[in-house]
Amino acid sequence: MISLQSSIKLKQIVSGVGSLSGTWHTQRALHVTPLILGWGNEHKPIPRGRFRPNRHWHPENRKARAMKILRPDLPDSDFLRKMQSKEASPAEIRDFYKERGLMRHESDNEIPVYTSCTGMLMEPFEPPEGDGKASLLSKQGAKDSALVVQRKGKTLLATRKLRRFEEDFDPRQFAEASQEIYIQAHEALARHDEDDLHKYATEKAYPEMLYNTENKTIYWKFIKSLEPPKTVQIRANDAFTKNNLFAQVTVRFHSQQILAVYDRFGRLIQGHPTVAKDVLEYVVFEKHAANLYGTWRVHGKIIPDWQDNRTPGRLTRVLRKDEAPMEEEIITDEEATKSNEAESSTTDESDAPIYDRFNRVIAKSK
Amino acid sequence: MLSQLRLPFRHLAQNGLGVLTPLRQSSSVDFVPPQTFANPAGTEKWHEKVSVPGGQDSFIFPAFNKRIHPPVLDQHGQLLVRPAYCCHMRTMIKYSQKKLWYIASFVRGLTVEEALKQLTYRHMNAKGAMIVSDIIREAQELAVQEHNVEFKTNLWVAESFTEKAEKVKGMRRHARGRMALLDFEFQNYFVRLEEGAPPKDYYEWRREKRPEELLENYVAEQRKRTIVFQQ
Repeated sequence: MISLQSSIKLKQIVSGVGSLSGTWHTQRALHVTPLILGWGNEHKPIPRGRFRPNRHWHPENRKARAMKILRPDLPDSDFLRKMQSKEASPAEIRDFYKERGLMRHESDNEIPVYTSCTGMLMEPFEPPEGDGKASLLSKQGAKDSALVVQRKGKTLLATRKLRRFEEDFDPRQFAEASQEIYIQAHEALARHDEDDLHKYATEKAYPEMLYNTENKTIYWKFIKSLEPPKTVQIRANDAFTKNNLFAQVTVRFHSQQILAVYDRFGRLIQGHPTVAKDVLEYVVFEKHAANLYGTWRVHGKIIPDWQDNRTPGRLTRVLRKDEAPMEEEIITDEEATKSNEAESSTTDESDAPIYDRFNRVIAKSK
Repeated sequence: MLSQLRLPFRHLAQNGLGVLTPLRQSSSVDFVPPQTFANPAGTEKWHEKVSVPGGQDSFIFPAFNKRIHPPVLDQHGQLLVRPAYCCHMRTMIKYSQKKLWYIASFVRGLTVEEALKQLTYRHMNAKGAMIVSDIIREAQELAVQEHNVEFKTNLWVAESFTEKAEKVKGMRRHARGRMALLDFEFQNYFVRLEEGAPPKDYYEWRREKRPEELLENYVAEQRKRTIVFQQ
């Protein structure tokens, strides 16, 4: 006859491991510690003897024991990550799909193609040398403005072509009106207003303007025009089919502007919010003249080489191994060691703290 | 309590919202543009969940990387120079939560270089240490390339925590025709790196107390005493 205690133990075992009827269940769902492990001071674990075998598992039966476990195919998240961030080679991706017997299907999204702008500048205007440097009243200034007037033949032809579609087109009036479009486009860019930017800039100019502006706060202000805007070149050509006219007008702007760019955390990285700069640029506006609903939009900019007087930005980066430093910046080893010695000799006495580009201390004086 | 909250700039809340390190006197006062140029409220994308490669779930943690902080003036009237931060995570890590939790807690409050160095010394939970150091390295690279961090060693681990992810079920056979379910568990690991030096005491409860504080505590304990069973 089984004693009371041993019958209780049997019950514990039974409730811990499972019923004898042969149905499977979740071990972990029971929230009962089996007596084999024991808990507390009263319920000791079952000692090895009658109710628990006193043998070590046989190493020969390892494979049989492993066969008891049905391990599913676990998701290879490493490879999935590689694939989704597009670092996997095509061969690897092909193998992945083949192993699983999956089909790769092309996406069904068919995007219709519509050309609403030309992808280039028609005969980009070449700014005369020294433009904007001399005043109009000086001898040099007069010569420069004369150069601009000389290249008028093609412009007149183009104007005639354009007038077939837009009768009221006047280059002088257009120059003044285009300033408003220019200002609206740049203000939309500063606001990251993509809808308005599409309205005031063509599809070619849109990515060029938005490049590198993510996660930044841009403050741009147009203060005044130093010289009245002037139309310097007009080109008009058919694209793809006859009479599908696209017109491009280059306007010269000489103005005062403020630009301040702040990074994601509100730190100044380019320009200054109170310092105004003189800006001379040639802005190309384009219109799909053959389209009834075409509008003049900013299509591109031509900035003379000598006009690049932007303040250098505060961002620095580490050169990659395959990149060579710019020619002016190549420092030979001798020069570097000399400068290091010079620095170390002066700073031994007074170790100045090291600042980063936002004037914060990153290494204090020793 | 503040130290246990997972908020960005938690340690700033302890010092008061301001500059963490002293600014050098600059000749020109940095001006802050009018607030109208900041992103208008409601147009931000950073409260929308972001899908993470490697799994099907979407999370809000990486969306903190899209948050743009407008330039403001601090209490001294100068442009507030906030420390840069970078949120990174990995999902569907095949590892035990009980082991990964220790590694996540271990790494909190250390500089990035110190964390990576210490993780190489772990002889226990070596697999988890390798995974976490990999993720921290990725976060370091992201911080430099996308979040305008100048020096990649000038970072510290501000937040580091794990959560359970999916479970994949398997089965195993027992004796006498009985079956049981098995769980193959996956984890998510989140880390936020911040620019600058870490605070001296990441955990408030581990802080070295000043003599005045110790005395106060002692006196308070002594005064709490009562005579038992006294009406």
